[in-house]
Amino acid sequence: MNTIIIDGLSFALPLFIMAIGGIYCERSGVTNLAIEGLQGFGAFCGALFAVCIAPSFAGDSPVPFYLAMVFAFLGGMLFSLLHAMLCIRFKANQVISGVVINILAMSLTEFMTKQINASIFQAASNKFVLGVSSRITVPGISSVPVLGAVFTNLYPFEPVIALIAFIAWYVLYKMPFGLHLRACGDNPHAVDAAGIEVGKVRLVAVLVSGALSGLGGICFAYSISANFSSNIYSGYGYLAIAALIFGNWKILPTLGACLLFGFARSGGYELVKLLEMPSSYQDLVMVLPYVLTLLMLVFFGRKNHSPKALGVIYDKGAR
Amino acid sequence: MKKHDWIPVLTVLLSLVLGIVVIALLGKNPFLAYYNLLQGSGLAPKASYAGHKGMITDFTSFLNALTPMLLASLSVLIALKAGLFNIGVSGQMLAAAFVATVLVGYSELPAVIAKPLVILIGFVVGALVGVLVGFLRHRFNINEVVSTIMCNYIVQYVVSFFINVFFVDPVSRQSKNINAASRLTLVDAAVGDYKMDIPLGILVAAAAVAATAFLLGKTTLGFEIKAVGNSSRAAEYAGIRVGRTRVLAMMLSGGAAGLAGVTYYLGYFCSMQPRVLASTGYDAIAVALLGNSSPVGIIFSSFLITVISKGSTYMSSTAGVQAEMASALTGIILLISACGAYVRERLDRWKENR
Amino acid sequence: MSDYIIEMNHITKRFPGIVANDDVSIQVKKGEIYALLGENGAGKSTLMSMLFGMYEPDEGEIIIRGEKVKIASPNHATRLNIGMVHQHFKLVSNYTIAENIVMGMEPVKKTFGFLKTLDQKRSNEEIRALSEKFGLEVDPTKVIENVNVSMQQRVEILKMLYREAEILIFDEPTAVLTPQEIEFLLEIIRSLRRDGKTIILITHKLEEIKKIADRCAILCRGKLVDVLDVKETDTKTMANLMVGREVNFSVDKPKPDFGREILKVEHLTVQNEDRFEVVKDVSFSVRSGEIFAVAGVSGNGQVELADAVAGLLKPSGGRITLNGKDITQATIRSRNLEGISYIPEDRQNVGLVMDLSLSDNLALKNYFRPPFSKGAVIEGDEFIRYSDELIEKYDIRSGQGSGTIVRSMSGGNQQKAIIAREIELDSSLLIFVQPTRGLDIGAIENIHRQIVEQRNRGKAVLLISLELDEVMNLADTIGVIYNGRIEKIADAGTLTPGEVGEFMMGVGGRHEKA
Repeated sequence: MNTIIIDGLSFALPLFIMAIGGIYCERSGVTNLAIEGLQGFGAFCGALFAVCIAPSFAGDSPVPFYLAMVFAFLGGMLFSLLHAMLCIRFKANQVISGVVINILAMSLTEFMTKQINASIFQAASNKFVLGVSSRITVPGISSVPVLGAVFTNLYPFEPVIALIAFIAWYVLYKMPFGLHLRACGDNPHAVDAAGIEVGKVRLVAVLVSGALSGLGGICFAYSISANFSSNIYSGYGYLAIAALIFGNWKILPTLGACLLFGFARSGGYELVKLLEMPSSYQDLVMVLPYVLTLLMLVFFGRKNHSPKALGVIYDKGAR
Repeated sequence: MKKHDWIPVLTVLLSLVLGIVVIALLGKNPFLAYYNLLQGSGLAPKASYAGHKGMITDFTSFLNALTPMLLASLSVLIALKAGLFNIGVSGQMLAAAFVATVLVGYSELPAVIAKPLVILIGFVVGALVGVLVGFLRHRFNINEVVSTIMCNYIVQYVVSFFINVFFVDPVSRQSKNINAASRLTLVDAAVGDYKMDIPLGILVAAAAVAATAFLLGKTTLGFEIKAVGNSSRAAEYAGIRVGRTRVLAMMLSGGAAGLAGVTYYLGYFCSMQPRVLASTGYDAIAVALLGNSSPVGIIFSSFLITVISKGSTYMSSTAGVQAEMASALTGIILLISACGAYVRERLDRWKENR
Repeated sequence: MSDYIIEMNHITKRFPGIVANDDVSIQVKKGEIYALLGENGAGKSTLMSMLFGMYEPDEGEIIIRGEKVKIASPNHATRLNIGMVHQHFKLVSNYTIAENIVMGMEPVKKTFGFLKTLDQKRSNEEIRALSEKFGLEVDPTKVIENVNVSMQQRVEILKMLYREAEILIFDEPTAVLTPQEIEFLLEIIRSLRRDGKTIILITHKLEEIKKIADRCAILCRGKLVDVLDVKETDTKTMANLMVGREVNFSVDKPKPDFGREILKVEHLTVQNEDRFEVVKDVSFSVRSGEIFAVAGVSGNGQVELADAVAGLLKPSGGRITLNGKDITQATIRSRNLEGISYIPEDRQNVGLVMDLSLSDNLALKNYFRPPFSKGAVIEGDEFIRYSDELIEKYDIRSGQGSGTIVRSMSGGNQQKAIIAREIELDSSLLIFVQPTRGLDIGAIENIHRQIVEQRNRGKAVLLISLELDEVMNLADTIGVIYNGRIEKIADAGTLTPGEVGEFMMGVGGRHEKA
């Protein structure tokens, strides 16, 4: 039971932070299929930095880890600038832009990982090996039954994500900027008429999305494989999209979706272990989020509203 | 008589120039690297060849790689003409290939029956997935971008499960190799002094390109698809059944993806890797775009992209440029071509306003 | 200092192919209601868009409160205390009324002393106070998509007042309102003047100007014709100046020769996409050789009526019969084959596939049958031949003939192409919705001639128009629609424009009873 909660959380939270980024982007009216690429590129930047500075720190120092998170954040943001440029400035089709950015991120990071390994570290390797992240257990509260598991064996990124998620929620729903952002996804003309620049709001939204995706990416790199390689592109970004659709483009329901996906995954794994089935049965568990999302759209599609102006290129002249 | 046919050409040139800069910065000879790409694809002679190999064998194995790319791009193109984004080509490819592998690939059927059957199954299974996507859009108004992404992963994991449980090869950790009789590529076929891979699928691809060109240009269904894709409201007004047209377009798109799948997994390769979707399906979106969304255009664009990816191994061994540079180059071409739509629109506006 | 609050001097604005404003000068006094009168496309909205900073004039100067200004953006206009209510409201549908009003200038509080947080309570209170001050009753907590159009308009007005606008521009504010709502709006405008606001009213409705305006500038085809003192001018004079000639131009129309009944509509009820009943229990019939014109103010269900007859909307009740055949449940295609031609209101999004060629568009309703196709295969040559023939016959002008992409054609020629296609179908019923909207006089006359010609050839014509002149000129029979119901059906000769206007406003028929 505890393992389910511990593993479920450590999977759900990075997913959640990426989905929040997606919500920012899409609520501002910009379709974001690029999360997959953004999280990969962010993870690449974070991992590269961690690998570079690791020698100057003691083996179990958490500093490289936190700095990696900062750089993943910045890296994702930097790469999302491309999406912003294509969608907002060049008015490219947002779906195509997303796909292209995914392809580009994948090929660029693979190329650069190899090139950097070859020319800087003189090693023929296609991955950056990260240290194993330390885990935190909050003394006292962790011994409470069931609930305690939430505070046991935490990755250091989990409290960070929780904090950032709260801030993101606060900004989106409680602050003027959030009001403007959500309005951009419904009727950008109203935002324009209120004297706010739609392009700027959307730019910030896309950048936030990139940053949070990058953050999620480095967390996955640490928690799942403890290294960065092309394995990072195994669909977490698309899963985040499924989660935010499932959560109806709202932060709290999306958290629910992410927890559901996370616990279903860890629970499924445990179940497979418990019944002594071969590990390949895990694949059936992995299908769940996608099937659930599709079924939800089929049965509750009417209640599921994507932002009205989503994917519509904003043209001042048009009405 | 499309306007601005030169834009993709400009895109490619610009990207190649960028590539030259990058390779030069890495301290390698960019022109040699590009020439290596051509050599690796059998479009230019190499300095030396191993026994039974030559330019022609390189070229046939290049065609072998080109086939699925061409078909996948065709799939994207057909959907695009109906105003739909088929992001799910990769999933449709895998689904089709899996069914064909299980039903035919592991059977003892003779080649004359097995090969056409593989093609048929590929088309039908892909088409069925396409119909599902089209139906979800038509009946439940579920955006095809969303449903195809979901389908991709559902297919990926379900297929992975079956491979791992029933069809896994314990050594390679992939699905067991299919029988040669059902494979769409003749491997190491002796022609004269050469031993070459002959991709029979290229004939299927050529036929599919011709059929698509005919469909879009010369048939009432093609006319309806184009009308729906350009303006579904105007199409409805003209009496065209929009939902039915979309489902049919997705059926054909899925069918082409299915064909891409069988030529990829039962031609270029002979097995499937669990938990991995071919990147072909995503690349194809951009290839279709680069090809100016015309059947003839995608022949050129998929040719180009395949030259870059296929020739990269040789480039890496000869010019010393990492093979991954090739896919980075592809990424850059696609990025710039995504901006091409903008350039095109601006030129159109500018012309209109004159 | 002059006593004018706004001076726009020698303003010229050109758009591709058209001079929207040609050396226009207007001066508005502080505290007056100043009307801008003109037909569609006369340049009223363009002129005001420049005052509101949406375009910059090519020539001329703008002086606000005695100071020469260059208004670069709506933001800038707001800083100059200029506000505008657009014809299409700019509201966020899932936000509350208060959120819509305060957006961009939100009251904030500091949470924990540093976090700028939206102060919802204060904004609700402020909006409530503001609405009470100006007598514009709204509930600040209601969500926009749940309130009606009139309320939404009030929100737009409050948006201006919240930004302390002194100069208020209204662009066709009454087009979407019912008569009662119009009365109420005019009262609001009067009270705003009492509060010292300067108001500019863009309209083409003479009665409104007569009721509330102090002065009235008349624009015709981009040029300023005259500025009149409303009290000293009668509506007839204004009308003549607005149109630029005597209003009563009429089309040569022989005596009607009605034949059998072609279209019969019985108790038709239609819901729009929001499941709102927009056509209510409508019955009428159109005979061969008859032009049946439906008159009405925009948004009273006339477009949905046409869509239902053509099959684009499914009726929720009633019966439609064409040539004696019940077509209520028939598909669009079978209705077309049965004999319906439809010239829709939205020619760019519905009537044409803009990115296909002219020849494809001319064959849009024929492509599936011989000689345009054999079996499933299209005969490209026949498309071109047919298209060349129609281009010649209907004088459709385009850059590259049959191969021209229709997006690149002018609005008038696009409409010609649609009309050519629909007339050539040789249907027994032709539905025209707003066939001359946005076209120049020459094109209008040409289309009117064609409509009459079809009627003379024994076709049944259902004409839906917002232009009363058009209805009066062309109709054999007039049906007036108001709020989804046909209020009155009568022979054209028996009704005066004034009477039709009264029925359009839902206040007709009072004289009959008296």
